[in-house]
Amino acid sequence: MKQTMKFQREADPEWSERFRTLPGCERISSCIQCGTCSGTCPLSIYMDYTPRKIIALIRAGFREEALSSKTIWLCASCYSCAALCPQQIHITDVMYSLKREAIQAKKYPPRFPIPVLAQEFFNYVKNWGRNAEIPVVLKMALKSNPFILLSMIRSGWGLFRTGRISLKRERIKRTGELQRALSAVKEHSHA
Amino acid sequence: MRESNGAVRVGVYVCHCGSNIGAIVDCKAVAEYAAGLLHVAVARDYKYMCSDPGQELIQKDIEEHKLNRIVVASCSPHLHENTFRVATAKAGLNPYYLTMVNIREHDSWVHTDRAAATEKAKDLVRGAVRRVVLQRPLEKGRVPIDPKVLVVGGGIAGIHAALTLANAGKKVYLVEREPTIGGHMAMFDKTFPTLDCAACILTPKMSTVKNHPNITLWTYSEVESVSGYVGNYDVKVRRRTRYINEDLCSGCQECIAACVFKEPKFPDEFNQRLGKRKPIYLPFPQAVPQTPVIDPETCIEFKTGKCKKTCLEACADRHAIDFKLTDTVEEIRVGTIIVCTGFQAYDARRSPQFGYGIYPNVYTSLEIERLVNAAGPTAGEVVLRDGKTVPRSIGIIHCVGSRDENANRWCSRVCCMYSLKLAHLLKEHTDAEIFNFYIDMRTPGKSFEEFYQRLLNEGVHFIRGKVAEVTDWAADPSEEGKLVLRVEDTLLGVVRRIPVDMVVLSVGLEPHADAQDVRRMFNMTCSNEGFFLERHPKLAPVNTFTDGVFLAGCCQGPKDIPDTVAQAGAAAAEAMALIDAGYVEQEPNVAYVIEEDCSGCKTCIPMCPYSAITFREQDKKAEVNAVLCKGCGTCVAACPSGSIQQRLFEDDELFEELEGVLIHA
Repeated sequence: MKQTMKFQREADPEWSERFRTLPGCERISSCIQCGTCSGTCPLSIYMDYTPRKIIALIRAGFREEALSSKTIWLCASCYSCAALCPQQIHITDVMYSLKREAIQAKKYPPRFPIPVLAQEFFNYVKNWGRNAEIPVVLKMALKSNPFILLSMIRSGWGLFRTGRISLKRERIKRTGELQRALSAVKEHSHA
Repeated sequence: MRESNGAVRVGVYVCHCGSNIGAIVDCKAVAEYAAGLLHVAVARDYKYMCSDPGQELIQKDIEEHKLNRIVVASCSPHLHENTFRVATAKAGLNPYYLTMVNIREHDSWVHTDRAAATEKAKDLVRGAVRRVVLQRPLEKGRVPIDPKVLVVGGGIAGIHAALTLANAGKKVYLVEREPTIGGHMAMFDKTFPTLDCAACILTPKMSTVKNHPNITLWTYSEVESVSGYVGNYDVKVRRRTRYINEDLCSGCQECIAACVFKEPKFPDEFNQRLGKRKPIYLPFPQAVPQTPVIDPETCIEFKTGKCKKTCLEACADRHAIDFKLTDTVEEIRVGTIIVCTGFQAYDARRSPQFGYGIYPNVYTSLEIERLVNAAGPTAGEVVLRDGKTVPRSIGIIHCVGSRDENANRWCSRVCCMYSLKLAHLLKEHTDAEIFNFYIDMRTPGKSFEEFYQRLLNEGVHFIRGKVAEVTDWAADPSEEGKLVLRVEDTLLGVVRRIPVDMVVLSVGLEPHADAQDVRRMFNMTCSNEGFFLERHPKLAPVNTFTDGVFLAGCCQGPKDIPDTVAQAGAAAAEAMALIDAGYVEQEPNVAYVIEEDCSGCKTCIPMCPYSAITFREQDKKAEVNAVLCKGCGTCVAACPSGSIQQRLFEDDELFEELEGVLIHA
């Protein structure tokens, strides 16, 4: 049987405090654990921790659990939770902060496609200035779990047939300037 | 009284206030430093100056060292200036020969550097010593108090305050905006946690008000203006006309029966618009006074002038009905005022996720109060809006509009308990499955927790979580035709969908929309949320910052009936304390005009927040009414020729103090 007790030595209160100073995370301390976020979230039913529990994990300082949860990757940024939260916590921003930290610390679940997708999306846009679904999704599948492509064939073919996705690569002019801008942002965020 | 004939001899007393001051300021060093200042005869430090031994220390020194000026360096004068003035006066010294230095709020509580804080204390004490030398002896003035009281608002707070005062023999004017007194309490069915019938305990008090020889009851009336000052307020009350003469009406209600509208047709405000009334109506059967009202918005005679006026015929010889009646304005003088204007319920339409106004079977708690009431629109039968279906399942959502930064941030304090009460009543009336959705269950009152236990044992479901959405969209065949509440059961950690027939929104309490107008009229202040502010949250909970104006009930903040009644009693006692003293003492720190310097420019007159300055036409000079003046100093600063001075804050005193503070010795 798995033991579920949490020892206080597993908590990182300093991380918790530092996390609450990140932009958008300032009001985490005000959370009254009412569950409005989880109730209104269209994806909470698939999450391992509901958004409310994520807030509780951050406050308790359980960094490991918060960063390696699937929840942060399932968040679709619909902002329903932020709109209804009675304490005006910017929950979507909290999710982004966690995602950012999880990527830096490589804390996401193994072979979990969503962070790979995020990275591939970023790389593609950085290189070409535009998104293209087919190469990005292909890369995501190849780098995480190629079998998920099988489950996408039907809807993929439908989208392709109706012209919603194409094999044509679109690009903007002067991609070099975009890359310079993005690398400036990256430098700044590391400073 | 001992006056300063001869040399000025100052006594300086530095208080440690336990560790409040002593931990940051070296009080001993401050006292030693003060001992060396000019005119200082004695300087001491002591653990608690405000204690009896501390005060006796000052009194003994006045005797032994022939002191004639006292400086106390301690807390804010708001707290203990009076204590030390009384102590000084007891030793035979004029109390205005005392000055206080605030080395707590202004020093030890706001600094962390011990050395610097001690230096600051020395500077402040030096300023005070130089100031106190120049201070003059002053005497308090007295203003008589008119024994009559105005109570504004006829809910349970106003009723209780008025009855308490009237029973003590005071004359009371009770002014109520609605056609009947009773307020929100009259709308409630039962009261928590004892489940007494609200009407059964309220209506006897209402009729006592009506029949009390010491109470003048004016319903359907509003205070229009207030002027004057404590003990002598001049008040104008607009008495809106009901088109029925209250003195002639016998309350037989024949007119209502005779109205050309055979059936009630217009939404009934008292029943939360769930029922209907006629253009001529009595809000509810036990209304006080028992005089109907004609609503000119719906009465055919007012709209077209072509009504058969069957009501007039029914009234026959009494001639109580008169369509030509107009509003009247009464002018009264009272000494004290108790404001009990109550609250308004949160408008649930402001939180659209709960579906109020969208789905017909979403109700507010106040609507349910009327629905379960035997005198309500359905005679106590709990049915849905279609008028016949009895709900089989009901969801009660707590904290609607409360504890929410998007609505009102405060906890409305009574909703948990009234939601439990409604859960019990609905269960009793319908035997439906009842779900309570709460964030935190707050039952901090006598027998409240026991009531919660009772509900738990009655089989009512409690789900900890705030409902995110009320919808009629069915995700499952079992949800067809129902309202579905989507909520995270935070104790289970899963999102649940719960289909119900009826949703009850436990709406919070908020200040009236026109609370700001009332606040201005009575010269009160408001807290952030808009409730009227008491003078001190703990020690002056029914006083306002305006002398002679008191608060009771939910206009001061959400509270339940027992607390409201207790507060109303306290407000009545405070008013009585003023009345029975017969007069109020006035602080002598008022402004006065140096007439030879006044040019009559009138700059000061509109500046005065208390309308205390008048212009004397005969010699074209400004004159300050010492009774009205509160000593705010606005006119002193505004006068272009410097011809207004304020006692206890004379220019020479202030400049001397400033110099003393700023010159490092």
